[in-house]
Amino acid sequence: MSDVTPKYKGSVLRPLKALANLWREPATLPMEPRPAAPNYRGFHLNDWKLCIGCGTCQEICDNAAIRMVQIPDLPTDAKAGVKPRRPAIDYGRCCWCALCVDICPTGSLSLSREYIHVSSDIDSYFILPDEKGIHGLGFEKGWSKSETSDLLDHQRQEMECLPAEEALSGFGELVPGYDTQAAVLEASRCIQCGMCHEACPTGMNAPEYIRALWQGDREKAVAEIYRTNPLAQVCGRICTHACETACSVGRRGAPVAIRWLKRHAMDSVPPDQIREIAIAGKAEEPSGRRVSIIGAGPAGLTAAFDLAKKGHAVTIYEARSKPGGMMRFGIPEYRLPYHNLDADIDVIRASGVEILCNTAIGRDVSMAQIRGASDAVLISTGLWAARSARVPGTDHPRVLSAIRVLEAITQGEDFGVPRRAVVVGGGNVAFDVARSVARLQKARYGEVAMDVIALEDRDHMLADEEEVREAAGEGIDLFNSWGPKSIQINDGSIVALETVRCISLKDAEGRFHPKYDESTMVSHAADTVIEAIGQSADTSYLGKELVEALEWSRGRLKIDRAGRTSEPWLWAAGDMVEGPDVVHAIAAGHRAAASIDEVLAHMAVKPGNVA
Amino acid sequence: MSKAVREGFQQAREHLRSLTTVGEILETAMAFEKAAETFYSGLVDKVSKPMRELVRELAEEETRHFQLFADLRARPDVEAHVKDRIARPAADHKFSNYVHLPELGENPDDQSLLQYALARETAAAEEYAELASTAPEGPIRELFLFLANEELEHKAELEKRYYELVHSGGV
Repeated sequence: MSDVTPKYKGSVLRPLKALANLWREPATLPMEPRPAAPNYRGFHLNDWKLCIGCGTCQEICDNAAIRMVQIPDLPTDAKAGVKPRRPAIDYGRCCWCALCVDICPTGSLSLSREYIHVSSDIDSYFILPDEKGIHGLGFEKGWSKSETSDLLDHQRQEMECLPAEEALSGFGELVPGYDTQAAVLEASRCIQCGMCHEACPTGMNAPEYIRALWQGDREKAVAEIYRTNPLAQVCGRICTHACETACSVGRRGAPVAIRWLKRHAMDSVPPDQIREIAIAGKAEEPSGRRVSIIGAGPAGLTAAFDLAKKGHAVTIYEARSKPGGMMRFGIPEYRLPYHNLDADIDVIRASGVEILCNTAIGRDVSMAQIRGASDAVLISTGLWAARSARVPGTDHPRVLSAIRVLEAITQGEDFGVPRRAVVVGGGNVAFDVARSVARLQKARYGEVAMDVIALEDRDHMLADEEEVREAAGEGIDLFNSWGPKSIQINDGSIVALETVRCISLKDAEGRFHPKYDESTMVSHAADTVIEAIGQSADTSYLGKELVEALEWSRGRLKIDRAGRTSEPWLWAAGDMVEGPDVVHAIAAGHRAAASIDEVLAHMAVKPGNVA
Repeated sequence: MSKAVREGFQQAREHLRSLTTVGEILETAMAFEKAAETFYSGLVDKVSKPMRELVRELAEEETRHFQLFADLRARPDVEAHVKDRIARPAADHKFSNYVHLPELGENPDDQSLLQYALARETAAAEEYAELASTAPEGPIRELFLFLANEELEHKAELEKRYYELVHSGGV
């Protein structure tokens, strides 16, 4: 370049021409920012009312630019899938890829059209965005959730269900479960936020087994399931699935079918392999301690499994002919086939648990004998005493309790299939008994004649929505917001149930306190009334002395958080102390087992026991 | 309900029918509460331990009511009216409703007990409401309205407890 000689041309006065520009408008652009494009990816916005603190944005951010920050005053509700935290953005790391927006399950996150921030304060580049933006200027949204950018799949993989006519023909299982392809597709919908984990009473880490299924590793999925649930065949079918209520994906679409995925994992691995996986990690040497458990329901079986794996000798005393409690004698076979329940119980037996059926406390063995032969005793005898509304006429022999009818059906006993029946109650037990009896009516009389009356209105039913919907398909008539008033009896036979309108269900504090309009009544023709309004615990088998020694609170056995009673050798768990629900009973069984194991660890081995 | 208690209630009922003054009504109302307290207190040792707390609470509530009535009876503004004659309601039967309840027996269950207690509260609340409707304007009407409200509040609380017991799986 050095050999190039510049050539200057023109007048020598040319430089003075520049003076002419002194009176011209400046050609530079103003410093105000230009409006960003409508889809611009500027600073973050977050609608705190929509945000649930799931942290999915943090998980997807490859630059680690998002950190979830705990906000003390925000509401928290594990069951509803709400955490008290919000995402904070580090603009020293953010690359404005907007994956956080695309994955956000609630649609609370978006990027604004604001893009200028100048500051020498480095902390000002780490912000907790809200709906007003980084400077509170209220810039409108740029890149936000759209159908094309949304990374979530809102549609659940469909689960087939037997047509009503076929379902009514017997007690065959209603749903066949997912095939492998459907299960993998459903698993791929999970965003691994873990909201379900905290909602599950047992602390089931569902994202782990869902990921394993997505990766095609079913054995790993089973191993993950067995970490917190030894009744996985059962829960894969009839769990009340709090996990799905908390599922973030359910905010704008159908929640991930977590329960059906558990079922798929359990159905797709052979029983021998499940057994092997389940009892892996069992103590090699016996502890020399003996634990007796009364009642082979979900709490008792769970505690037995945990304790047996710790090396303790565990015996369950069960009054009925087979183990399972309400899972066998309360839940109809079309929802939970007996062979699936037996598969779970076989695994528990394989862990070393001894189950003595047809052994009632007080009849076949005394409480004192059990205490004498054990280092610890757990009672988990459920809620087998039925409540009655006790309105006029309920002492008639054709007023039956739901749990007695369900038990009779399981046992194959003839309780006198009604020609026309009314079930009183709005929970799952009411629908279980109504649908079971409907099947028997169909078989015997060729038609279903069944009313269900519930205090709750249609939007606040206690029963699962699918139960209510399927019952309607099977020809069962549901009457919402009605309560029983009296039973009409003619010549010794029931002819109808009179009901009154329920005008409100709860008081201002949310306590159950139904109010009725006595002037509005409906008569339901029936020859049989089945009550499914509630159950209570029968603890008479404990004996007067022990009942007096124990502490009680508001009519129920007083226990600590681990299930230990006021007697140091006795624990209680399950429906009898916590209310009816299988998965809660399983959780209670775990807590009781952990407490018993801890106590036994500090206890001397009794002479004669093998240590 | 034992025969003695039943007979006591019957006598109270008959006595009430002949009442004509505010003072006598208050005395009978106090006897009504006292009879219930005696009944529940006598039941405490007969029921099983899980139910004892409930029976004790019912007895304590009746004691509280009795004391409340005694305090009201002693107030000067009420004292000034105790000899006032008051028209009895036409359908004067509320206090006596409880005598028509089924026998509780020696070992009633928790549901029966609450049903019994509810019926008593209902009877008392209706009785006071009717008395308020027939009483002249002034402190006596205020008194009966207050007592009716007191019984209704207790009844509402018992109802909630009843429904929670019967409809919640018993726990």
